[in-house]
Amino acid sequence: MTTTAAPATTAPTTTYGLTTTRILRSEWHKLWTVRSTWITVLTAVAFVLGVGILMGSTYTSDGGDSDVDTVVLTLYGSQLGGIALAVLGILVTAGEYATGMAHASFTAVPRRLPVLWAKATVYTAVVFTLSLLTALLTFLTARFFLDGTDQAASLTDDGVLAAVAGNAAGVTLLGVIALGLGAALRSVPGAIGAFVGGVLIVPEILGMLPYDALDTAIRYFPTQAAGALGSATPIPGAASPGAALLALFLWAAAALTVPALLLKRRDV
Amino acid sequence: MIRAENLTKRYGDTTVVQDLSFTVRPGTVTGFLGPNGAGKSTTLRMILGLDAPTRGHATVDGRPYAGHSAPLTKVGALLEARSLHPGRSAYHHLMALAHTHGIPHTRVDRVLALTGLTHVARKRVKGFSLGMGQRLGIAAALLGDPATVVLDEPVNGLDPEGVLWIRTLLKSLAAEGRTVLVSSHLMSEMALTADHLIVIGKGRLLADTTVDELVRASGGASVKVVTPEADRLRHLLPDARFTTEAPDTLLVTGLEASEIGRAAAAHAIPLHELTPQAASLEQAFMDLTRDSVEYQGAPA
Repeated sequence: MTTTAAPATTAPTTTYGLTTTRILRSEWHKLWTVRSTWITVLTAVAFVLGVGILMGSTYTSDGGDSDVDTVVLTLYGSQLGGIALAVLGILVTAGEYATGMAHASFTAVPRRLPVLWAKATVYTAVVFTLSLLTALLTFLTARFFLDGTDQAASLTDDGVLAAVAGNAAGVTLLGVIALGLGAALRSVPGAIGAFVGGVLIVPEILGMLPYDALDTAIRYFPTQAAGALGSATPIPGAASPGAALLALFLWAAAALTVPALLLKRRDV
Repeated sequence: MIRAENLTKRYGDTTVVQDLSFTVRPGTVTGFLGPNGAGKSTTLRMILGLDAPTRGHATVDGRPYAGHSAPLTKVGALLEARSLHPGRSAYHHLMALAHTHGIPHTRVDRVLALTGLTHVARKRVKGFSLGMGQRLGIAAALLGDPATVVLDEPVNGLDPEGVLWIRTLLKSLAAEGRTVLVSSHLMSEMALTADHLIVIGKGRLLADTTVDELVRASGGASVKVVTPEADRLRHLLPDARFTTEAPDTLLVTGLEASEIGRAAAAHAIPLHELTPQAASLEQAFMDLTRDSVEYQGAPA
């Protein structure tokens, strides 16, 4: 073999290198180039909008739902839609370990943590925007049916816009918790199980126990806090919207801190 | 340039890599050889920062891989396992990696063309054959035009045409002055591709040598000669050593096949066969790693 003394690399014309913006762009690209994103997102939108239309079109003033908050009533589907978006959050992180993509991602970004932050940022931005638009569209569509009933309401009514935005924030932060679980557990079924069991079901069971202190604590659990955020009128026995938002933020932060610490230590 | 110093990796009580030190230099193809389970993949993963060494460290161009600001331009790697989302197209897989470094789509198109994947670039990777998957892995490795290329078992699952393509590619990468490290458990393949060899067994360094030296150490390459006049031929070649396999069959060491053929022709000795034996290299590898083969077949 002839060993010609060529330069080690042809110098790149632009400077290649890692930057935060570029890693965000990569995660954005990854998100929209797999079908599972479109499926979970469209499922979530369909659930929220479909259930909202169903609630609105079948509502009668004497049907016994007069005491339900209008925003809660019209956005009932966001509980189901939220699960679809939580699955998306899990696929974004745990999905990479299932497919082996994590090897490629962490070879490109060997410091690892920027990948987690970028995933959480892109997910939060996309899911919040999408949830807010869906919630607004659903509320306005349902309102069209509810005109003339005792649930007639407008976006400009006291607390309504805040509750619609709160609903979107609640769905988003629950999803970030799911994303964090996926990153920590590195298994799609494991993280879905942990999310459904630990975040959705366990607080319900704990709430049935006859301890007052527990009841107070459960107000600040993720699902319950998200519920308090999405109501235009205060729910009896729930946290205030401000406290609920803070609690959810802390849960989401904790759900990202655990995998961040693990990511630095564990082998890929 | 890759430098490993006292690399050690333990999982609980099992030591997968033990006190491994070596240097991989630019401009040549270095073969990283060892039987299955010798610790090759773990070593490569430690070089790339995917696994943390229990002890020791590895550097690329003087720094740990993760310490570089543009890692994909330093090392391009193909790991043994498929490292991609099967639902993403080849183009989007490469583009997602390219974005992290600000590498333009024109470079993605370029490596797709280089690996012969242009016509399937928009197809989802799910439907790719093993060989196409390997080509995509190599495309990803070349994405950042890296100074060092690390490939873990690249010929696995490739058809003969693919094997030949990899061989040519590796040699041209080295000729361009890059550092090329290729792992394999096949000595025969490495003999055709590599100039330098790092042989490990059970996580320990067994040899850090050139292909030629390894052959010489194992008694040199031999040539099988079949001729009805074996005795006459023996006397014509005083510099060679002979092993007689059959009355008409000689194993000649110390001479090239061409020299034997010339001598035979000059004295009108008919040759029925004149075959250089590569087996000695395979044998050298077997001898070297015999004690460190993890799964040994018992005689039936």
